Amino acid sequence: MIDRIEQLLERVEKPARYTGGEMNTEVKPIAQAEVSFAFCFPDTYEVAMSHLGMKILYDILNALPYAVCERVCMPWIDMLEGMRRENIPLFSLESRTALNRFDIVGFTLQYEMSYTNILEMLSLGGIPVKSAARVESDPIVVAGGPCAYNPEPLHAFIDAFMLGDGEEVIVKVTDAVHDGRKQGLARLEILRRLAGIPGVYVPAFYSARYHGDGTLQSFDPIDAAAPATVTKCCVADLDAAAYPGAIPVPYTQIVHDRIMLEIMRGCTRGCRFCQAGMLYRPVRERSVDRLLQLAEQLVDSTGYEEISLSSLSSGDYSKLSELCQKLMERFASRRVSISLPSLRIDSVVGDSLAQTQKVKKTSLTFAPEAGTQRLRDVINKGVTQTDLLSRLREAFEGGWNSVKLYFMIGLPTETQADLEGIAHLAREAVNAYYAVPKGQRAKGLRVTCSASVFVPKPFTPFQWNAQDTMETVRAKQAELRRMLNLRGVTFHWHDPSVSLLEACFAVGDRRLADVLYRAWELGCRLDGWSDQFRYDLWMRAFADCNLDPAFYANRERGAQELLPWDFIDIGVTKAYLRLEAERALRAETTPDCREGCNGCGIERIEGLCTICG
Amino acid sequence: MIVVFEKGLVLRHIGHLDLMRSIQRALRRSGLPVRYSNGFNPHIQLSFASPLSVGVAGMREVMDIPLESECDEAEFTQTLARAMPAPLKVRRARAVPDTFPTLMALVAGSNIRMELDAGQAADAVAAALPPFMASDDCVALRKTKSGENSTNIRPFVTQASVEPSGTGYTLRCVIANRAEGSLKPSVLMKALCDLAGVEAVPYLAYRDAILARAGDGALIALEEYPYV
Repeated sequence: MIDRIEQLLERVEKPARYTGGEMNTEVKPIAQAEVSFAFCFPDTYEVAMSHLGMKILYDILNALPYAVCERVCMPWIDMLEGMRRENIPLFSLESRTALNRFDIVGFTLQYEMSYTNILEMLSLGGIPVKSAARVESDPIVVAGGPCAYNPEPLHAFIDAFMLGDGEEVIVKVTDAVHDGRKQGLARLEILRRLAGIPGVYVPAFYSARYHGDGTLQSFDPIDAAAPATVTKCCVADLDAAAYPGAIPVPYTQIVHDRIMLEIMRGCTRGCRFCQAGMLYRPVRERSVDRLLQLAEQLVDSTGYEEISLSSLSSGDYSKLSELCQKLMERFASRRVSISLPSLRIDSVVGDSLAQTQKVKKTSLTFAPEAGTQRLRDVINKGVTQTDLLSRLREAFEGGWNSVKLYFMIGLPTETQADLEGIAHLAREAVNAYYAVPKGQRAKGLRVTCSASVFVPKPFTPFQWNAQDTMETVRAKQAELRRMLNLRGVTFHWHDPSVSLLEACFAVGDRRLADVLYRAWELGCRLDGWSDQFRYDLWMRAFADCNLDPAFYANRERGAQELLPWDFIDIGVTKAYLRLEAERALRAETTPDCREGCNGCGIERIEGLCTICG
Repeated sequence: MIVVFEKGLVLRHIGHLDLMRSIQRALRRSGLPVRYSNGFNPHIQLSFASPLSVGVAGMREVMDIPLESECDEAEFTQTLARAMPAPLKVRRARAVPDTFPTLMALVAGSNIRMELDAGQAADAVAAALPPFMASDDCVALRKTKSGENSTNIRPFVTQASVEPSGTGYTLRCVIANRAEGSLKPSVLMKALCDLAGVEAVPYLAYRDAILARAGDGALIALEEYPYV
């Protein structure tokens, strides 16, 4: 008989999302593993397979002789509905094992709008959605990734969170579950052991109380195993850290279909809206030798034709020219190209860029983020108008005809002049293009202006700030649309109702778990896909839980207010973030910390930061 | 080098272009002396005898990989097999000179096998095959580049048989290519279901061989086509 999964695959869109069998995914038989880990990505296969963190951790777990790690992704609507109808549980790509048969189920948290997918995946996988309802035979449900730094809206669904770099802590967590199961420990005891691992947060062992006005009154451990402060994990030496020599190569095209070589972690710039810039401190580089060795292994094992040098700000890698040159030397004859995303406008990239862009002249992206120098100083985006304009001129002289300009609207202290500044920059870009003589410039100018909406993020100097209300955002967008109605310029904007929910879940507290659960009950899932997002259902969920989204998104927080994520220590101190918030109000910039230690707090951890020593 | 390979059942949903890219990546991994095209984006030269319909497994698919330098057939087979993902299995490599005819031009038809799941629908479809073969025409909708076309599909099927299998029925047929193209297994199955008066039947389709016409007019496996 043809099994039910195969029959269902005949009827869904993109069945290859669910069939696995890719190069470098042949793992050991799951039946023989002493401990099994389901690595769950709460979005579709194409998004999941583009994620570098998953590939690193998949490799680490499968390298453990006693463990097996398999991948699980969020099915698309048609498959979801088919699986529900046919009673097929959510299964892994490798061995089609049902989710509830794994010992550990781990989610990576990359985006707030994927939270309902976690609930849907647990439910479809036959696991009680709420932690409190799980019994001894259920898997331990864990989560990590950038959104885990405010774990509270997910506290009711995840048994244990891992904070910080995952390479080491994921092994400790897997070992603890493995040992606990071998010794026949009860679930509660295993969770106590997890709570004892540095960087692990077990929400059931903490209690939150609230003031009458809805702000947090206290947040304390209620179990002896739980520390009062959870400190993030940090891998000190990237050269010594595990990195895969082989990664899965999907058959179908995914979002980032290439080798991603992480050249460094962390960023020294200190843009005040940027969460990654604070979370991933201190900056750590991989050596050129190690990167060449990894590139060699990855090209051999994958057959990919492109290597992308990835990091938060690749232009800041101290030996970028040397690395690019050596990679080109080694791989040019093998027709492997090198690409450099995440370049800053002011990076010294002339040489590197010339090398990497020898072939295709695709679009160049610039992220000035704000329209005026004043506002760029407020957000500490150390980019000047002069830099920006000269880069644009160089780009057009160099034969590019397409540039993208990324902005944010609703940033703290924004005024009418800042909005006009965005339009002004777009006009300057157009002028820079027409300043190149007709025969010398590439035909068909395309300036794409994108304006996202400011979302306050935990552990940033703007964590206290309010997001503009949807009405204000809509008015600003309408004005920009009018001002950017120029030849050769396209304007893109974000749906403010999505941004509102992003803000709620970014800075929300434990009570949002009820809203999330209610929204999922009402049918919300795949909220990150605009054709699936149901704002009306989300608002109903808030109303049903007697909570107001404006309390979370549109409220300025007091300097003394206890924030839901204050129990987490990311290295950077709250005092430093507050200092930065005050400097922002005065439009005072803070230099790149490579020019001298700014005292962000990382220096308290001895030997971790190579800059402050 | 002419290479015979299997595109396993698990990969039946992978389209032609994705398959091509996957094999090009396997060739890069293998380090075999492949040829690259010229131009801004050089890619590995590779040509398939006949694209396989999505949803069908290919047991003996055939492709031509032009090489920079000569290679031993057995060594080539082993090296490529090691570089391929598990569901793509290299069956054979046959060295031919550059003057060998283009594979696509040689394709005359294919051996198709359909494994039907036991049940009333399968019984009806199995019973509909003899009358189908006895008739002269059977009009069905075929999707072509210019849209949907009503075509008499009967002349495409030159031989067909059906026999019980452990799990239902095995239906084997020889599909001959005609001036208007080829016939997809799914179109044939739909026509048989219509004849049998059933909605659908669960089945899996396999292309067991790609066929060429030998000098004496007989259909032979494409990879056996003699070089003269």
